[in-house]
Amino acid sequence: MKKIYSNKLHILIFLLPALILFCGVLIAPLGASFYYSFFKWDGMGPKTFLGFQNYKELFSSNAIGFMKALRNSLLLALFSVVLQLPLALGLALTLGKKIKGERVFLSVYFMPVLISTVVIGQLWLKIYNPDYGILNVALRSMGLESLTRIWLGDKKVALAAVFVPTLWQYVGYHMLLLYAGVKSVPVELREAAMLDGATDGQVNRYIVLPYIKPILRVSVIFAITGSLKSFDLIYVLTNGGPLHATEVPSTLMINMLFKRNRYGMGSAIAVMLILLCFAFALLINAIFRGED
Amino acid sequence: MKKVLAMALSAVMACSMATSFVPADDGEKTTLTMWCIATESDANHPAYVKAVEEYEAAHPDIKIEWEAFENESYKTKIKAAMSDPSTLPDIFFTWSGAFLGDFAAAGTAYCLDEAYKPYAEQLPEVMLQNSTYDGKHYAVPLTMNIVTLFANMDLLAEAGYDHVPETYEELTACCDALVEKGIVPFGCAGKETWCVTEYLEPIIEKTIGYEEMNEIFAGRSTWNNPEIATAVDTLQEMINKGYFDPNGIALGNDEVKANFLAGKTAFYQNGSWNCGEVNDAEGNFQAALFPVMNSEKATYGQVIGGPNDALAVSASSPNAELAAEAAFELGKEICHYGYLAGSGLPAWTPDYDISEVKPLVADVAEMVANADGMVLFGDNAMSADPANTYLDYVAMVYGCEINGEEFVEGLTGDLG
Repeated sequence: MKKIYSNKLHILIFLLPALILFCGVLIAPLGASFYYSFFKWDGMGPKTFLGFQNYKELFSSNAIGFMKALRNSLLLALFSVVLQLPLALGLALTLGKKIKGERVFLSVYFMPVLISTVVIGQLWLKIYNPDYGILNVALRSMGLESLTRIWLGDKKVALAAVFVPTLWQYVGYHMLLLYAGVKSVPVELREAAMLDGATDGQVNRYIVLPYIKPILRVSVIFAITGSLKSFDLIYVLTNGGPLHATEVPSTLMINMLFKRNRYGMGSAIAVMLILLCFAFALLINAIFRGED
Repeated sequence: MKKVLAMALSAVMACSMATSFVPADDGEKTTLTMWCIATESDANHPAYVKAVEEYEAAHPDIKIEWEAFENESYKTKIKAAMSDPSTLPDIFFTWSGAFLGDFAAAGTAYCLDEAYKPYAEQLPEVMLQNSTYDGKHYAVPLTMNIVTLFANMDLLAEAGYDHVPETYEELTACCDALVEKGIVPFGCAGKETWCVTEYLEPIIEKTIGYEEMNEIFAGRSTWNNPEIATAVDTLQEMINKGYFDPNGIALGNDEVKANFLAGKTAFYQNGSWNCGEVNDAEGNFQAALFPVMNSEKATYGQVIGGPNDALAVSASSPNAELAAEAAFELGKEICHYGYLAGSGLPAWTPDYDISEVKPLVADVAEMVANADGMVLFGDNAMSADPANTYLDYVAMVYGCEINGEEFVEGLTGDLG
């Protein structure tokens, strides 16, 4: 075995299938998107080379609305970090204390992650239905008629209405990641702190949180890049509407690619999404490294 | 032993891989593949099933393998397949106008001129006009459809009307009476902008006339027409008067239609493909056209629509000639059974007993027979990019974000 691993050719042969797969399904399409982003192309006819024109138009054209879509995504990323992650962390810390029914709560909070996004979308469409949706019905029954809205049709509230299920769906996902971290904290450390008179809050702050920092970093990266890439739930709930109020870069990309047949512009959006995700991942790593 | 087992498993895997690359050969049968949008919930699904069954029975040496996709996802799928024509099926569903025009221009659709010749008597050439480019035919029309004003006569009776209003003044008076009775006159799905065009386009047509509207959609005339602004303002006036269900902006077409069929709205203006469903629903329904706004330029008989749903053949098909003939045979029977089921009006001349055609379908068929002029649906008449720019402006009109003047100004700037 040692001999096999010491032979570089063997290592290469073992890694080659995975490498081919990785290049075929990830690197090659990335390269193709980057290539197409320099062209005006309808997906069928001849391509016209435009240079960086698609990128210039992306950032300057109000009609395309990329900046608005990007702002919506960044807002979602912000809410993910300031609302979703603290909530997930709170749940993880609470469940990590071996409370009664820990397994049941864990399963319940994780359930939305397991359910298909389309099903969740349909569920929330019913909740938000202006006629019979539980939200408006509850508000009416409490005498708060004035607060009822056409949640997904009013461009003033549609973005917030879309954010709620998007954030709710992945609370369980981050909770599970953080819960695994909380559970990995050595019992001796906790006990030593308790013996020194530390309260629960102090144990969490000075023992648990520093210990699970690498997992927190991963969660922050997932939350932010996930927000930038968010697509499915928004597509089901509003498809970017009303009047592009809930547009995010991914829905805009689909619009450009398959509705408007603008493959070059759609590819430029794809490239920008990839670059932004990389940039944020690097930035978060740098921030955490700086704190270390 | 392990070596033998490994070799045996490898052999099994190699065989299975090898067989997966062998083209399906069902005895002596030739297999033709087809993609369409007739999913099981689609009104046209039974027509496709019967047409395929009959075709296979009449052609025992040909097997049709067909797949149906949901409308919106199909648009994505077919466009993605067009970028690599080898992934296209032999026959595919398409919308006429600019949608198919893009495929014809790119050379991915097969010219059907030769295949059409034996069917010329049953399929009038006028029905092919929306799928003809540079004088060549590229698709087999299935059904034709027009924008139809469906009315719930029981609700209209509550407002004191025993007929569908025929003038705009009468329509607004009727809507006022309905609103007074607490009945919402119209439902329109704001979530699907094409549904808004089903209201806006007839108003524009009945204001400026079908000829000018055709010229504008074809890009031969300008949007810079003050009468279009007037038409847009008319729609917004109706919205502001409370003639439209305000919840409609967040609803999809299926929900709005369900509201109409459940008696929650008095009118529902949408495609005639809904005729069968409306006819079969409980209640007293009638079909009509939107009234004339400017009698100097338009008549009641001018309609929005035309032969739009069609089957095309992939130019890259190894059996293109056979597929072309199959497309005509299938198209004819889909039209036949679709007409009888009320999911569309016939693009083909009926050579079968039509006494069992549903009354509402027959009424709309008569309207088409007496039509003075037709304008193809705007989002089909224009190619993808301008069509979506147009739809964006239509959505802004329904959301009352812009008025008629701004609509005209914006479209003139973006589309000319």
